[in-house]
Amino acid sequence: MSTTKKEVFSRDIIKLKDIDATIDKICKKLKADVNQVLRRQGGVIGVSGGIDSAVTLAIATKAFGPEKLFAVMLPEKDSSPDSKEFAQKICKKFGVKVIEENISGALDGFQCYQRRDEAVKNVIPEFNPATDKMKIGIPTELIKKNLPAVFYVTVIFADGTEKSARLPMAEYLQIVAASNFKQRCRMSMLYYHAEALHYAVLGTPNKHEVQQGFFVKYGDGGADVMPIGNLYKTQVYEIARHLGVPDEIINRTPTTDTYSAEQTQEEFFYQMPFEDMDLLWYGWENEYTPEEVAPAMGLSVEEVIKVFRNFERKMKTTDYLRRAPIHDYPC
Amino acid sequence: MKEKIRNFIAEATFTDAATIKDDTLIFDEGIFDSMGLLGLINFIESEFGVTTNDSELQEENFGSVERIFTFVSQKTAVAS
Repeated sequence: MSTTKKEVFSRDIIKLKDIDATIDKICKKLKADVNQVLRRQGGVIGVSGGIDSAVTLAIATKAFGPEKLFAVMLPEKDSSPDSKEFAQKICKKFGVKVIEENISGALDGFQCYQRRDEAVKNVIPEFNPATDKMKIGIPTELIKKNLPAVFYVTVIFADGTEKSARLPMAEYLQIVAASNFKQRCRMSMLYYHAEALHYAVLGTPNKHEVQQGFFVKYGDGGADVMPIGNLYKTQVYEIARHLGVPDEIINRTPTTDTYSAEQTQEEFFYQMPFEDMDLLWYGWENEYTPEEVAPAMGLSVEEVIKVFRNFERKMKTTDYLRRAPIHDYPC
Repeated sequence: MKEKIRNFIAEATFTDAATIKDDTLIFDEGIFDSMGLLGLINFIESEFGVTTNDSELQEENFGSVERIFTFVSQKTAVAS
């Protein structure tokens, strides 16, 4: 029987105790995995200008040196122009070679935009993709109702007015399936460069993305290693500050950079600030009771129970995304 | 009507209908997820002609076979 005493739950519980030691352990494992296990010479990273790819790049530079890394910017029609500027800045800062591969042509070939816009028009016929912007998300008032997420599409018309409508199943699935071409095109391009260089693809998802299923299977979830896959978002920020990631990148609000209208990750998927989500996830994952967690979070026990239930639901419903192909069939 | 609702849930989730009681909490117990809820909205519309307004998307209306039955019954009664 374990005699280890559990630390009292507090808002500081996931703060990295020895940041240099944590970075060092990640770097050692990353180098061993890429060089010894995968037998690849270095790493290819897709850089978006966001905090996760910036920290992955910073850690990988420490592990391999910049000469063994190759960064790729993968913008498309709907990408924010800021993304390129920030991606270039982080690569310059760490001395990593970066190129741009615009994937809009490939997406046109897959009819990504056409398929997505067709589904939006089924729900909001006035939508004109040439002049209007769109995004999907979950209205905050629905989150409180203890039901699984139901997505709404919002069109922002050229004159600034907005219209939202609930997405029926067929249209929701079509929009998601079409949009996922973006991450899958990026993955294909990263593997092109990785194979051409005999490198591994270094994925950039953090702990929440991996565990809550906020990634596209065989898209941004397609990589050889995920060095920050076990770090909470607030820990990613701690490491970013420690390794000298530029402030503009640290201070940017994380967005999905997937739909033509700007949309934060909190609005699209997480539904609460990262600082709270990290702590609540830690509490749930480490089997703290809602009674232990609630006072530190300033929430009622019932609210924590609701959040824990939602985490459990997310883990279950996204299990499919984390599964490798099932191949243990009888012969 | 309850059996139709139960059978729909069972078929959509590859679950034995006998395990879904009238008061089984289909979302809390992980039987249904987002896709299940969207499918359920489609189902009650096509099967019973009941459309769901945004304000009616509540656990009280969709949380169990019993609640769905009550919700659909009330909506159809109002309509007739």
